[in-house]
Amino acid sequence: MRSGRARLDLLDPLEVSKLGGLELITEGVVEGFLSGLHRSPRRGFSVEFAEHRMYQPGDELRYVDWKILGRNDRLYVKQFEEETNLRAMIVFDTSRSMAWTGSPATVLPKLAYSQRLIAALALVLIRQRDATGLITFDDDVRSVMPPRARLSHWRQLLGTLAAVEGGQGTAAEPALKRVVRQLRRRGLVVFVSDLLLDQSLALKALRFLRHRGHQVLVLHIMDPAEVALGGPNEARFEDPESRTAVIIRPRDWAGAYRDTVRAVVSEWRLACRRHGIVYQRVTTDTPYGVVLRAALTPPSRSA
Amino acid sequence: MIGFLHPWVLAGLAAAAIPILLHLLARREPPTVMFPAVRYLVSTTREHQRRLKLQNWLLLFLRTMLIATLVMAAAGPTAPMSGVPGHVPSALVLIIDNSPSSGTMAGGSPILANLVTAARSVLARATPDDALWLVAADEIPRRGDAAGLGELLDDLAVSPRRLQLGRAISLAGEVLASEKRPGEIVVLTDLQATALSPAEPRAPLLIGRPTTPPPPNTGIGRIETGTQPWSSGGGRISVVLVGDSAGSVPVSARFGDRPPRQALGRVGGSVVLTLPGVPPGWWTLTTALDPDEFRHDDRRVGAVRVAPVARVRWDSTSRFLAAASEVLASNGRILPGREISLGRLAQGASVVQPPNDPAQLGALNRALAARGVRWSYGNLSTDLAFTDSGAVVGRQRVVRRYPLQSAGSGRTGVLATVSGAPWIVRDGSVILLGSRLDPAWTDLPTSAGFMPFMDMLLNRLARGEAALGQGTPGDPVPLPDLVTAVRQGEQEWRVEGGGMFQPPDAGVFYLLAGRDTVGAISVNPDPRESRLTRASDAQARQLWNGARLESLRDVADDAFSSASRGDLRGPLLWLALIAGLAEMGLASGWRRRV
Repeated sequence: MRSGRARLDLLDPLEVSKLGGLELITEGVVEGFLSGLHRSPRRGFSVEFAEHRMYQPGDELRYVDWKILGRNDRLYVKQFEEETNLRAMIVFDTSRSMAWTGSPATVLPKLAYSQRLIAALALVLIRQRDATGLITFDDDVRSVMPPRARLSHWRQLLGTLAAVEGGQGTAAEPALKRVVRQLRRRGLVVFVSDLLLDQSLALKALRFLRHRGHQVLVLHIMDPAEVALGGPNEARFEDPESRTAVIIRPRDWAGAYRDTVRAVVSEWRLACRRHGIVYQRVTTDTPYGVVLRAALTPPSRSA
Repeated sequence: MIGFLHPWVLAGLAAAAIPILLHLLARREPPTVMFPAVRYLVSTTREHQRRLKLQNWLLLFLRTMLIATLVMAAAGPTAPMSGVPGHVPSALVLIIDNSPSSGTMAGGSPILANLVTAARSVLARATPDDALWLVAADEIPRRGDAAGLGELLDDLAVSPRRLQLGRAISLAGEVLASEKRPGEIVVLTDLQATALSPAEPRAPLLIGRPTTPPPPNTGIGRIETGTQPWSSGGGRISVVLVGDSAGSVPVSARFGDRPPRQALGRVGGSVVLTLPGVPPGWWTLTTALDPDEFRHDDRRVGAVRVAPVARVRWDSTSRFLAAASEVLASNGRILPGREISLGRLAQGASVVQPPNDPAQLGALNRALAARGVRWSYGNLSTDLAFTDSGAVVGRQRVVRRYPLQSAGSGRTGVLATVSGAPWIVRDGSVILLGSRLDPAWTDLPTSAGFMPFMDMLLNRLARGEAALGQGTPGDPVPLPDLVTAVRQGEQEWRVEGGGMFQPPDAGVFYLLAGRDTVGAISVNPDPRESRLTRASDAQARQLWNGARLESLRDVADDAFSSASRGDLRGPLLWLALIAGLAEMGLASGWRRRV
């Protein structure tokens, strides 16, 4: 992005969503995100030269081809075969609970937020020549896109994302098992979900992936209204998936609920850490850039 | 028993249902909110569910209690409570017994003075919120504040009227019946045994009575003047002494302007005095005792008619009339003559009895009409009936009679009745008897009262006079038909014959028919007042259930104490405050914890 223009990756996601279609704003977000990095998020460069490409802000200076700079006064970086070896698989929860927002006027639904986040993440990866695939699921696997590193593949991925709507219940285990078939070598698995699912089954599947040598990143998508309980004086709260309902006075229960959410998040974080899984809680009012930075930074540097 | 000053406010207790209704209404239709993270809510509430239920019930209870206690406090609850200083607004009827016996001197002052002092002490404990009534011997409840009733006490004097305590207590109960405030009856009395009568107190009853025994007393209970009229030669009277004194006392009797005569007498006995002759007319007889502690019964009056005996021509064919006339003549109560015709209608005054032969009745009625008499005989009645007791004739059996029918203005001139129907009537100088004075018609000729009846009939009734009456101050006395006015000394009351007259005080009241004096009523204090003996506390409690008896000195301390009903508003408001604070604390504290 040119200087003087706002960086979309740091704007409010709802505001960003108003600026254009999924492709356009995703590119804008990624441009902003990459311009803010001092170096590329992933190394992945090897000694086996593959091709040149235009320097992008964030690329490490050691890969700049100084000869070309000397001849043409242009910045190119050298790319190597190893760069494309990373295979990433994004597993996207499209259950009905993901289509919810506590405040439609101010916050994107979790599903819409996740679509944009996944699109941006995929673009970042593909631009790094990382093959990126997508699996969507609700109570069953709904779509599978094998990992590819071409930019045209990203556009296909956008089409799949755009077609996603809130589905039924949530069953992550089949989708995560499906990943095993798609990633035969070690790769990166990004699990995007509100985690309103069977925790033990999901963890079991994630552990299995980890056991296969995959790097696993869990993005726990939460609506701000799910973090801080609000609502009318007294209400019947109903789960859109299971139809389970409970009648409470939110004002009376806000504190206890906050503690429960905190405990759940803490439980997920501990369980993931125990198995070397990177866990990141994401609320849908968080700018995409912040999430991308946290998600794509090596685990040792993540919060 | 809890009472309420404003019981209608208790209708507001329905408001206590508001928290429950709100709770139910709120439970009925809470809005539904879609919320994916319900599982977090479920796990949150699961931990607190039991406490939440308890909390909700406790809050419901506290809120209901808060409203209920506030409503009850607004209704002004009171409860019997001893040792409570002050009292809640009460209704108190103060009965002060200023009957004649209250004039008895005790310790240098009349008992009434002590009663009034005690009454003032009771009133001094009253507050402006109290409703107060004062009832004296006139049995008129007077309402006022403590100051107003205090002024009435200033003017209160010994009344000639007797006060029946039971009746006064019942009256006080009726007064309090319409009062919503807790009521109490305070009776200040000398607790004369003869004044006690049963009553069901409708409110707590407090009796204040003297603790010192009453003094011995002798009073004049009755004067018997014998058959009247007296002749100009004088007469004999018998004075009956009543009371509870054992010694002899001198009795004096003054008749007209003659010097008084004296004799000694004892309680329970009678003193016979011979009085000198006076000219014909109506005379006041005054008997008196030497003053003692109870002055009211030391003097008694009576009316005496002095006149020459009647000169009578009697029907010798009527056996019982003839016999009675001969007896009266032999005793000097009548003389043979033509002043009065007895048995038949004749010129001048006549006492007419119906004929034996019904065939002669028409001729008699025509003769009566010719004399201008507005009464006539009707058809023979053989129904068994009895005379109505009265001054003229007592209760006698009547088996045959001619109903007397008036052609004039109703019942004017009726002297005696049988079952309410005229039996002896007078019109001018003619007296008509409904039955013949014969045992086949009535028991009167064979009764002990026959000779006095004949004496009165001839010497007084046939001469246009009425029977002599007796009465007590304040009690209504029936008047004969022909009376148009009542006179005592210079004072005169216009009255309607056949009505009632209420003598205001003791004395002789003369009955006037036009300008003629036709009778008299001797009004004297009730002789029962002379017995000053007090009833015991046990007797009083037996007659008046739940009565508390105190000395006159202490009665004020106990007044309003039955109603010593503590005001429960304070405790209830405290309870409401505690309930409110508990509710706030519980709700907010619980929220903080949750």
